[in-house]
Amino acid sequence: MPDTKKKTKKTAARSGPKSLATYLDQIRDDPNEFRKVSRKVNPMDFEVTAILQHLEDRGEFPTVEFTNPLNLHGEPSKFPIVTNLWATRERCAEAIGLPRSKAGRELGSLFAERVPRKIQPVVVSGDNAPVHANVLQGKKADMWILPGVRHAEMDLGAAFLMGMVAKPPGEDFYNVTFIKTFPETGHRGGLTPHSAHIHRIFKLWEKRGERFPVINILGHHPAFWLGTLNSTPWGDNEYATAGGFLQEPVRLAPSVTWGKDFMVPADAEIIIEGEVDPSKHTIVDPFGEISGQYQPQELAPLMEVTAITYRDNATFQDIFSGHREHQLMGALGHAGSIFNYLNQKIGGVTAVNLPFSACGRYTVYISVKKTEEHQPKQLALAALVFLPTLHVAVVVDDDIDVFNEQQVLWAVNTYVDPDRDADLMKNLRPPQDQRGMGSNRLMLDATRPTHRPFPTRLRVPPKVMERTKKLEEWLDSAKGKKS
Amino acid sequence: MKKIFTSTCPKCKSTFVVSWELRHAGLKLICPICGHRYLPDKSLAIDEREQH
Repeated sequence: MPDTKKKTKKTAARSGPKSLATYLDQIRDDPNEFRKVSRKVNPMDFEVTAILQHLEDRGEFPTVEFTNPLNLHGEPSKFPIVTNLWATRERCAEAIGLPRSKAGRELGSLFAERVPRKIQPVVVSGDNAPVHANVLQGKKADMWILPGVRHAEMDLGAAFLMGMVAKPPGEDFYNVTFIKTFPETGHRGGLTPHSAHIHRIFKLWEKRGERFPVINILGHHPAFWLGTLNSTPWGDNEYATAGGFLQEPVRLAPSVTWGKDFMVPADAEIIIEGEVDPSKHTIVDPFGEISGQYQPQELAPLMEVTAITYRDNATFQDIFSGHREHQLMGALGHAGSIFNYLNQKIGGVTAVNLPFSACGRYTVYISVKKTEEHQPKQLALAALVFLPTLHVAVVVDDDIDVFNEQQVLWAVNTYVDPDRDADLMKNLRPPQDQRGMGSNRLMLDATRPTHRPFPTRLRVPPKVMERTKKLEEWLDSAKGKKS
Repeated sequence: MKKIFTSTCPKCKSTFVVSWELRHAGLKLICPICGHRYLPDKSLAIDEREQH
């Protein structure tokens, strides 16, 4: 009987709305996807990121759960850490309902389809919000009870890396953006609102000179986050975009601090509620960022904590910053948005990839079924204008797999005539961060020339490739016997 | 490229990168390695060459 009770309880706990826990149940039993570290680790002494770096050096990218970390007081934490969640396209595909076999073009296409398919959030009472199972206010609302991770050697300190939610004055839409929180004490921390929309929201409040609410969500189902990572227009409610990716409404509850004036995701793991005083700033960074370099030390807005809430058995979610999961989680959303935009404006695009070699942000590979010679350059320029972080746009033919960098570079090396196909766009964008290209941008048309005779790319006939694709039926076994 | 400078900590001699807005703001930098707080002018070395 006890076993039955236990099993029933577990099933019941996992059958509700989508959460980080329901997702982890999907991968927990697969050692290729999920590894657990039960030994005590000190995240402030880099032991979490060192383990992840060793795995990466071995070519392994599992989600890792650290069940016995220290918190920022140096005491055993009640919250385990889960990190490296988005490090493979296959896991990202599964998180939003695609089979692992469709983690290439299909994943990009699904992103493009899901962005406009919003599902409006629903409201539940605070009593029905798992994230309000535990509420800390006043002096008890101490961020240092969390197992904050210091990621790279010269990071200024621990940083919480998950999403922050804010809304502009007088508006009723929520922006969810990944920004860092540096918990300099248990009750206040510096924020780095670099993304365009959140930066605009902070500036609007700053002009009014008013304190404003923000929340830090430290854990949710991966599809919730993937939904918030797309380039959506100003004014979009990103709780609704996240719902489209979850394929169910995000459940919202009134916050502990501001009630219905600021709604929070009911099924999150941990939420920090805080207020930003536009007159107060603090020092943050360096921090090892997406570009694989340290962001410079800077002055940043200061958040003062008003409450911390968390669900029973909550997990603290983190990101291996500057590494594969950080690169991929942004690349997927951007690729989907670019795919939609280019096909609406110009057409012919069959796949878009922002490769790991450019940190998933700075270069885009676009494949096209070219119908006229000028189309690739129009696509490249449109992509560079659409996404401010892009520095290089490379356009290839549809028979080149944009997820296979060797094929893309073959096309560049074979088809590009620098005089005709390479364009340097000077001063196209304001400089954003510390990369050599600064304000300039580069476009490469690496499609096969059609305005003059040009050799044909070799291949084995597709019919024969299809006939022989069950390779094990053709190959002898290693011992010399037919398998 | 946004203007930056590098500062070398007078205590532990680590060099780190800093936004230009902090160069003359009268605020103390924080060394990410040893936590020492100091004004930029107290850096052991500073590199503020213009970038091109």
